[in-house]
Amino acid sequence: MALEVRIGKRLAKVQLLNREGDRMKFEVDGRTYDLDMVEVEPGIWSILYRGKSFNLEIIPGSKPKNYTVNTLFQSYEADIVDAEAKYMEARDKAAFGEASNRILSPMPGKVVRIPVAIGQEVKAGETVIIVSAMKMESEFKAAADGVVREIFVKEGDTVDGNQVLIVIE
Amino acid sequence: MIRKVLVANRGEIAVRVMRSCRELGIPTVAVYSEADRKAMHVRYADEAVFIGPSPSQESYLVIDKIIAAAKQTGADAIHPGYGFLSENAGFAQRCADEGIIFIGPSPYAINTMGDKITARKTMIAAGVPVVPGTESAITSDEEALAIIERIGVPVMIKASAGGGGKGMRLVKDPKDVLSSLRAARSEARAAFGDDAVYIEKYINSPHHIEYQILGDQHGNIVHLFERECSVQRRHQKVVEETPSPLLTPEVRAEMGRHAVAAAAAVNYYGAGTIEFIVDEQLNYYFLEMNTRLQVEHPITERVVGVDLVKQQINIANGGKLPFRQDDLVQRGHAIECRIYAEDPDRNFMPSPGVIRHITEPLGLGVRHDGYVYEGYEIPMYYDPMISKLVVWGSDRDDAIRRMRRALYEYKITGVKTSIKFLERIMENKAFAEGSYNTHFIEEHLEELTTSRECDRTCEDLAVITAFLDHTNRLAAASVKGPEASPKDSPWKSFGRRNSINRL
Repeated sequence: MALEVRIGKRLAKVQLLNREGDRMKFEVDGRTYDLDMVEVEPGIWSILYRGKSFNLEIIPGSKPKNYTVNTLFQSYEADIVDAEAKYMEARDKAAFGEASNRILSPMPGKVVRIPVAIGQEVKAGETVIIVSAMKMESEFKAAADGVVREIFVKEGDTVDGNQVLIVIE
Repeated sequence: MIRKVLVANRGEIAVRVMRSCRELGIPTVAVYSEADRKAMHVRYADEAVFIGPSPSQESYLVIDKIIAAAKQTGADAIHPGYGFLSENAGFAQRCADEGIIFIGPSPYAINTMGDKITARKTMIAAGVPVVPGTESAITSDEEALAIIERIGVPVMIKASAGGGGKGMRLVKDPKDVLSSLRAARSEARAAFGDDAVYIEKYINSPHHIEYQILGDQHGNIVHLFERECSVQRRHQKVVEETPSPLLTPEVRAEMGRHAVAAAAAVNYYGAGTIEFIVDEQLNYYFLEMNTRLQVEHPITERVVGVDLVKQQINIANGGKLPFRQDDLVQRGHAIECRIYAEDPDRNFMPSPGVIRHITEPLGLGVRHDGYVYEGYEIPMYYDPMISKLVVWGSDRDDAIRRMRRALYEYKITGVKTSIKFLERIMENKAFAEGSYNTHFIEEHLEELTTSRECDRTCEDLAVITAFLDHTNRLAAASVKGPEASPKDSPWKSFGRRNSINRL
C-alpha cells in the first residue's frame, strides 16, 4: 500500500513493503527503513531504527487525515493526501479560491473586531480581523492585495480552530 | 480563627491554596464560572458555588457575587490568589466591612503601592533607592524637558496608574520627548482614566530581581530572599530562579534590608513582593510592590522551606511569624518554568483546547503545580498558563540538569505548549552561565525558536508514523463494519425487535 504524505512543503511518497508483527519495512521517497515500531501509549510510538531509539508522538489534527507529529526536538504538520483529500482540496479551491486568500482561525476564540467590509479593497499586511483567546488579541492580516469577497463571521462570534473567516480575492 | 476559606480564583493557584488549607484542616469553597464547571479547583474544594458567565468581568471579578458566595457557605475568610481581585483595595475593604477576613494586606497598603507615584514618594521617604527621575506627576512640557536635561536620555515615560506595558514610552532622543509625552498621556487616559505620568531614567540591560516579604500584624517583617525573574517575553515572566546568579552576598543582604524597609513604610502585613531592577554594576532601584502572592512563589518555598500560603493564613489569623530573619537561609537552588498553552513555532499564539494526554514529570526534586487533566478543555477565556514546573537541586548546575530531565519527561498532547521552547532555554549557553538579563529572549529568539537540526531520518519517521496511524485507523474502521446509521427508521427497528420476539 502506497500513499502520499505532505509534510511541511514536501510531498513524500511512502510505502509499506513488509510487515511481520512490529517489524516493518517502509520505503520513503526511495529510501528504505527497517523499523521496530510499537505504540507504547495512545499516540506515542517507540521506534527502534538501526539500534537507535526514537519516540514519536502523533496527534490527530482538527481535520481528518491531518496530524501533528512530534519528535524530541521537532514538530511537523503532516497531511495524508489520498484520492479523497485531493478531491476536497480541488472543491475548496473552487469554493473559496486559493488557500492563501482564505483567512482561517488558527485557534478557538472570539471575534473582537472586523475592520473591513465586503467589497472593500485591502492591501497586503492590512489587518482584516482580530480574534481574542486567553486574554491575548491576535490580528490576522491579508496575505496579498485584494478585495474582501466574503465574511463568514461577525463581531462577538465564537469561532473554532481552522474555520474559514474571510475570503479575499 | 479562620474556619472556612473561600478561594476567589481558579486554575493552578486555586488548587495550590486549597492544598495548604487541606493540610491545615480548613474546609475550602471554590467559586466557578460557566466555563469552569469541570475545572480542577471545583473538584478539589469541599464546596463550590456557581458565580456566573465565563468572561471574568461577569464572574471572578464581580465583588458582590464573591461576597454572596462567602455568606451563603459561611466562609469566614477569602483568599484572592493572584490576578483577579487580589490587588483590589475596594475588595479588601468590602471584606472588612462584611466581617470577612481578607487573606492579604490592608487596603491602605494596596492603595499606596498600587499608585506608582505615591509608591515612589513613599519609598524615597523610607530611604529605598528608586530609579532617578521625577518625584511627582509631570505638570508641564517645560518641566519634562528640564528633568530630561538633568538625568539624560534614555528615559521612560510611565503612567502613574500603569501596568502591563500600557502608557509606557521609551525616549532615546531628546527631540522625541514632547511627542512621547503626549502619546503616553493619551494612552494612560484611555487605559486607566488617569493621564498622570512621570519620568524615570531607563536602565539598560536590566535584571529583574524581586524579594519575597512576609509581615505579621504585630510589626514583624522578614524577607525570604530574592527571585531572579529576568527571563521574560513581552513583560511576561517565563523562567524564574533563586538564588540569583548575579547577586553577591553583600548586595543580597543590603537589598533584603531595603526590601524590609520598603514594606515597613506602608506597615505591611501578609505576603508581598518588592520588585527591583538591577543594572550590570549591581546598582538596584525599587520598581514596584506586588501586594499579593506571586505566581513564582514556589521557588522561594522550596529553597527557604516555608509554606507561604500557610503563613498568609497564620498572619490573617493574627498570629506572629514563627521565625526571625536570622532563622532563614537559602538551601540549594530552585528553578521554575511556566508552561503556557501557546505555540512557540507560530509567534506564541494561544492554544486553548482539550488535553488528550498528559504525563507529568515525577522524581526527586520535582514539584508540579497545575490544574489540567486528561479530557479537560482549557477554556479560551482565561490565562494560558497550564502549570508551573519547579525543580530543586543542590546547586544551580544540578537544578538546570534536573529541569532538562523534567521537561523531557513532561508530555502534553491536544494543545500546543511552550515545553520545547523552555527546553531550548535550559540548553542555552548564556542561561547555563547565568549571564542573562531581560533582553535574553529577544537576543536569543532565533536560537530559541528554531528546531534543532535533525537529518532527514526524523522527517521520514514522522511520515511513516502518520502513514501507519492512518492505515491502522482504516483497518480498525473496516473491521467494525458499517455502523448503524442514526437515521435508521425507528419503525424498522421496532419491526425487527418484534420479529425476534416472535421467535
